[in-house]
Amino acid sequence: MNRRELFQKVLGTGAAVIAASVLRADAGAFNGPAGGTRGTQLVTILTGPFDTSSQPNGVRALTATPQFATYVRIQANPGQQGKIAIGRSVMATAPGNIADAAFVELWPNWDGTVDNGRSDTWIMSDPQWSNTINLADIYVWPEIAGETPVITAFQLV
Amino acid sequence: MLILTPSAAAGPLTVPGAPVPIATTSTLVNKLSVKPRLGQWSKVLVGGPNLLPDESTALAVLYPVPNGGQADAFVVQDQGGQNTIDLSQIFVYASIPGDTPMVEAFEYKTI
Repeated sequence: MNRRELFQKVLGTGAAVIAASVLRADAGAFNGPAGGTRGTQLVTILTGPFDTSSQPNGVRALTATPQFATYVRIQANPGQQGKIAIGRSVMATAPGNIADAAFVELWPNWDGTVDNGRSDTWIMSDPQWSNTINLADIYVWPEIAGETPVITAFQLV
Repeated sequence: MLILTPSAAAGPLTVPGAPVPIATTSTLVNKLSVKPRLGQWSKVLVGGPNLLPDESTALAVLYPVPNGGQADAFVVQDQGGQNTIDLSQIFVYASIPGDTPMVEAFEYKTI
Protein backbone atom coordinates (compact mmCIF):
# COMPACT_ATOMS: atom_id res chain seq x y z
CA MET A 1 0.00 0.00 0.00
CA ASN A 2 1.55 3.28 -1.04
CA ARG A 3 1.27 6.51 0.87
CA ARG A 4 -1.69 7.75 -1.18
CA GLU A 5 -3.67 4.57 -0.63
CA LEU A 6 -2.89 4.64 3.07
CA PHE A 7 -4.08 8.25 3.29
CA GLN A 8 -7.34 7.41 1.52
CA LYS A 9 -7.90 4.47 3.84
CA VAL A 10 -7.39 6.63 6.92
CA LEU A 11 -9.72 9.30 5.59
CA GLY A 12 -12.35 6.71 4.74
CA THR A 13 -12.23 5.23 8.22
CA GLY A 14 -12.57 8.67 9.79
CA ALA A 15 -15.58 9.49 7.65
CA ALA A 16 -17.27 6.24 8.65
CA VAL A 17 -16.75 7.00 12.33
CA ILE A 18 -18.26 10.47 11.93
CA ALA A 19 -21.24 9.10 10.03
CA ALA A 20 -21.88 6.42 12.63
CA SER A 21 -21.77 8.70 15.64
CA VAL A 22 -24.94 10.28 16.95
CA LEU A 23 -24.64 13.56 18.78
CA ARG A 24 -25.93 13.03 22.28
CA ALA A 25 -27.61 16.42 22.50
CA ASP A 26 -29.77 15.40 19.56
CA ALA A 27 -31.26 12.55 21.54
CA GLY A 28 -33.93 14.10 23.71
CA ALA A 29 -33.88 11.37 26.34
CA PHE A 30 -30.18 11.71 27.06
CA ASN A 31 -29.38 14.20 29.78
CA GLY A 32 -25.83 13.10 30.48
CA PRO A 33 -24.23 12.59 33.84
CA ALA A 34 -25.71 14.71 36.57
CA GLY A 35 -24.01 18.03 37.06
CA GLY A 36 -20.88 17.85 39.13
CA THR A 37 -19.88 14.35 38.11
CA ARG A 38 -17.30 13.59 35.49
CA GLY A 39 -16.13 10.64 33.51
CA THR A 40 -12.95 9.80 31.68
CA GLN A 41 -13.87 10.27 28.04
CA LEU A 42 -14.47 13.66 26.45
CA VAL A 43 -17.28 13.44 23.92
CA THR A 44 -18.97 16.02 21.75
CA ILE A 45 -22.62 16.49 22.63
CA LEU A 46 -23.36 19.50 20.43
CA THR A 47 -21.59 20.63 17.32
CA GLY A 48 -21.90 22.48 14.06
CA PRO A 49 -23.81 25.51 12.75
CA PHE A 50 -26.68 26.27 15.13
CA ASP A 51 -30.00 27.28 13.56
CA THR A 52 -32.32 29.35 15.78
CA SER A 53 -34.83 30.34 13.11
CA SER A 54 -37.55 27.99 14.33
CA GLN A 55 -37.83 29.76 17.69
CA PRO A 56 -39.81 32.92 18.61
CA ASN A 57 -37.70 36.00 17.74
CA GLY A 58 -34.90 33.66 16.75
CA VAL A 59 -33.80 33.15 20.39
CA ARG A 60 -32.96 29.54 21.18
CA ALA A 61 -31.51 27.66 24.12
CA LEU A 62 -28.57 25.46 23.22
CA THR A 63 -30.66 22.43 24.17
CA ALA A 64 -34.35 22.06 24.84
CA THR A 65 -33.79 19.70 27.76
CA PRO A 66 -31.03 19.96 30.39
CA GLN A 67 -27.70 18.69 29.09
CA PHE A 68 -24.64 19.07 31.28
CA ALA A 69 -21.36 19.97 29.63
CA THR A 70 -17.89 20.74 30.88
CA TYR A 71 -16.86 22.98 27.97
CA VAL A 72 -18.88 25.15 25.61
CA ARG A 73 -17.58 27.13 22.67
CA ILE A 74 -19.60 29.52 20.49
CA GLN A 75 -18.02 31.08 17.45
CA ALA A 76 -19.21 33.66 14.92
CA ASN A 77 -19.57 31.74 11.66
CA PRO A 78 -17.00 33.06 9.16
CA GLY A 79 -18.67 34.68 6.18
CA GLN A 80 -21.83 35.65 8.04
CA GLN A 81 -22.53 39.31 8.74
CA GLY A 82 -24.48 39.76 11.98
CA LYS A 83 -23.46 39.93 15.61
CA ILE A 84 -24.22 36.95 17.85
CA ALA A 85 -25.76 37.63 21.26
CA ILE A 86 -25.35 35.09 24.08
CA GLY A 87 -27.39 35.33 27.26
CA ARG A 88 -29.52 33.61 29.82
CA SER A 89 -33.22 32.84 29.82
CA VAL A 90 -34.30 36.50 30.07
CA MET A 91 -33.16 36.90 26.48
CA ALA A 92 -36.04 34.70 25.32
CA THR A 93 -38.61 37.25 26.49
CA ALA A 94 -36.62 40.45 26.10
CA PRO A 95 -38.51 43.40 24.66
CA GLY A 96 -36.85 45.71 22.15
CA ASN A 97 -33.27 44.96 21.18
CA ILE A 98 -32.70 41.40 22.32
CA ALA A 99 -28.95 42.01 22.60
CA ASP A 100 -29.68 44.41 25.46
CA ALA A 101 -30.46 41.33 27.56
CA ALA A 102 -27.32 39.43 26.55
CA PHE A 103 -24.10 39.11 28.50
CA VAL A 104 -21.83 38.61 25.50
CA GLU A 105 -21.86 39.78 21.90
CA LEU A 106 -19.64 38.29 19.22
CA TRP A 107 -18.49 40.45 16.36
CA PRO A 108 -19.09 38.97 12.89
CA ASN A 109 -16.26 37.79 10.67
CA TRP A 110 -17.73 38.49 7.27
CA ASP A 111 -14.59 38.65 5.14
CA GLY A 112 -11.66 37.81 7.35
CA THR A 113 -10.23 41.32 7.35
CA VAL A 114 -10.68 41.97 11.08
CA ASP A 115 -8.41 40.52 13.79
CA ASN A 116 -6.24 38.73 11.22
CA GLY A 117 -9.19 36.61 10.17
CA ARG A 118 -9.92 35.15 13.59
CA SER A 119 -13.57 34.71 14.42
CA ASP A 120 -14.84 36.16 17.68
CA THR A 121 -15.42 33.27 20.08
CA TRP A 122 -16.95 32.77 23.53
CA ILE A 123 -15.71 29.90 25.69
CA MET A 124 -17.04 28.70 29.01
CA SER A 125 -15.59 25.77 30.89
CA ASP A 126 -15.80 24.25 34.31
CA PRO A 127 -12.41 24.85 35.98
CA GLN A 128 -12.42 21.34 37.42
CA TRP A 129 -13.69 19.59 34.30
CA SER A 130 -16.97 18.63 35.87
CA ASN A 131 -20.17 18.43 33.85
CA THR A 132 -21.85 21.45 35.43
CA ILE A 133 -22.79 23.76 32.57
CA ASN A 134 -26.44 23.32 31.72
CA LEU A 135 -26.76 23.98 28.00
CA ALA A 136 -30.48 24.64 28.45
CA ASP A 137 -29.58 27.76 30.49
CA ILE A 138 -27.61 29.37 27.66
CA TYR A 139 -29.45 31.19 24.89
CA VAL A 140 -28.25 32.41 21.52
CA TRP A 141 -29.63 35.10 19.21
CA PRO A 142 -28.16 35.91 15.80
CA GLU A 143 -28.74 39.55 14.92
CA ILE A 144 -29.52 38.51 11.35
CA ALA A 145 -32.27 35.93 11.16
CA GLY A 146 -31.15 32.62 9.77
CA GLU A 147 -27.47 33.01 10.54
CA THR A 148 -25.85 30.11 12.28
CA PRO A 149 -23.10 30.48 14.89
CA VAL A 150 -20.81 27.49 15.25
CA ILE A 151 -21.35 25.80 18.60
CA THR A 152 -19.47 22.97 20.25
CA ALA A 153 -20.05 21.42 23.65
CA PHE A 154 -18.09 18.65 25.33
CA GLN A 155 -19.05 16.32 28.12
CA LEU A 156 -16.98 13.87 30.15
CA VAL A 157 -18.72 10.51 30.20
CA MET B 1 -26.75 18.67 41.95
CA LEU B 2 -24.13 21.30 41.25
CA ILE B 3 -24.44 23.46 38.15
CA LEU B 4 -22.48 26.38 36.73
CA THR B 5 -25.06 28.85 35.48
CA PRO B 6 -25.27 32.47 34.32
CA SER B 7 -25.67 34.90 37.24
CA ALA B 8 -28.64 37.24 37.42
CA ALA B 9 -26.06 40.04 37.46
CA ALA B 10 -24.87 39.14 33.95
CA GLY B 11 -25.72 41.54 31.16
CA PRO B 12 -25.03 45.09 30.02
CA LEU B 13 -24.06 47.34 32.96
CA THR B 14 -25.15 50.96 32.63
CA VAL B 15 -22.40 53.29 33.84
CA PRO B 16 -23.79 56.76 34.50
CA GLY B 17 -20.55 58.74 34.60
CA ALA B 18 -18.88 57.46 37.75
CA PRO B 19 -17.53 54.03 38.72
CA VAL B 20 -20.30 51.63 39.73
CA PRO B 21 -20.19 48.20 41.37
CA ILE B 22 -21.41 45.29 39.27
CA ALA B 23 -23.75 44.32 42.11
CA THR B 24 -25.04 46.47 44.95
CA THR B 25 -25.11 43.62 47.43
CA SER B 26 -22.58 40.87 48.01
CA THR B 27 -22.88 38.43 45.08
CA LEU B 28 -20.35 35.63 44.82
CA VAL B 29 -19.59 34.08 41.45
CA ASN B 30 -17.05 31.68 39.97
CA LYS B 31 -16.25 33.55 36.74
CA LEU B 32 -16.39 37.19 35.72
CA SER B 33 -15.71 38.84 32.39
CA VAL B 34 -16.05 42.53 31.54
CA LYS B 35 -15.88 43.74 27.94
CA PRO B 36 -16.58 47.02 26.15
CA ARG B 37 -19.80 46.70 24.21
CA LEU B 38 -19.37 46.35 20.47
CA GLY B 39 -20.06 49.62 18.68
CA GLN B 40 -19.65 51.83 21.75
CA TRP B 41 -16.84 54.33 22.09
CA SER B 42 -16.03 54.23 25.80
CA LYS B 43 -12.74 53.16 27.22
CA VAL B 44 -13.71 50.84 30.08
CA LEU B 45 -11.92 50.66 33.42
CA VAL B 46 -12.23 47.79 35.89
CA GLY B 47 -11.09 48.03 39.48
CA GLY B 48 -11.93 47.71 43.12
CA PRO B 49 -13.95 50.06 45.36
CA ASN B 50 -11.17 52.66 45.03
CA LEU B 51 -11.50 52.85 41.23
CA LEU B 52 -11.00 56.38 39.88
CA PRO B 53 -11.90 57.61 36.38
CA ASP B 54 -8.32 58.73 35.76
CA GLU B 55 -6.99 55.15 35.42
CA SER B 56 -4.63 55.62 38.39
CA THR B 57 -6.23 52.81 40.36
CA ALA B 58 -7.60 50.60 37.57
CA LEU B 59 -6.66 46.96 37.45
CA ALA B 60 -7.71 46.75 33.78
CA VAL B 61 -8.10 49.38 31.06
CA LEU B 62 -10.06 48.10 28.07
CA TYR B 63 -9.97 49.76 24.68
CA PRO B 64 -13.30 50.31 22.89
CA VAL B 65 -14.42 48.35 19.83
CA PRO B 66 -16.24 51.01 17.80
CA ASN B 67 -15.71 49.58 14.34
CA GLY B 68 -15.48 45.85 14.65
CA GLY B 69 -13.26 43.16 16.01
CA GLN B 70 -13.04 41.11 19.14
CA ALA B 71 -13.65 43.09 22.30
CA ASP B 72 -10.86 43.57 24.79
CA ALA B 73 -11.72 41.76 27.99
CA PHE B 74 -10.97 41.46 31.68
CA VAL B 75 -11.55 37.85 32.74
CA VAL B 76 -11.09 36.17 36.10
CA GLN B 77 -12.20 32.72 37.23
CA ASP B 78 -11.67 30.78 40.44
CA GLN B 79 -9.82 27.67 39.27
CA GLY B 80 -10.68 25.90 42.50
CA GLY B 81 -14.30 25.60 41.47
CA GLN B 82 -15.77 27.90 44.11
CA ASN B 83 -17.85 31.08 44.12
CA THR B 84 -15.23 33.47 45.47
CA ILE B 85 -15.48 36.60 43.31
CA ASP B 86 -17.68 39.22 44.96
CA LEU B 87 -19.34 41.36 42.28
CA SER B 88 -20.05 44.12 44.80
CA GLN B 89 -16.28 44.62 45.15
CA ILE B 90 -15.66 44.96 41.41
CA PHE B 91 -16.28 48.42 39.98
CA VAL B 92 -16.62 49.45 36.35
CA TYR B 93 -16.21 52.85 34.73
CA ALA B 94 -16.98 53.83 31.13
CA SER B 95 -15.53 57.08 29.81
CA ILE B 96 -18.79 58.00 28.06
CA PRO B 97 -21.73 58.29 30.48
CA GLY B 98 -24.55 55.90 29.65
CA ASP B 99 -22.43 53.33 27.86
CA THR B 100 -23.05 49.73 28.80
CA PRO B 101 -20.04 47.43 29.13
CA MET B 102 -20.96 43.76 28.94
CA VAL B 103 -20.67 41.79 32.15
CA GLU B 104 -20.57 38.01 32.01
CA ALA B 105 -20.80 36.19 35.33
CA PHE B 106 -21.28 32.51 36.09
CA GLU B 107 -21.96 31.05 39.50
CA TYR B 108 -22.20 27.60 41.01
CA LYS B 109 -25.64 26.69 42.26
CA THR B 110 -27.02 23.59 43.82
CA ILE B 111 -30.37 22.58 42.39
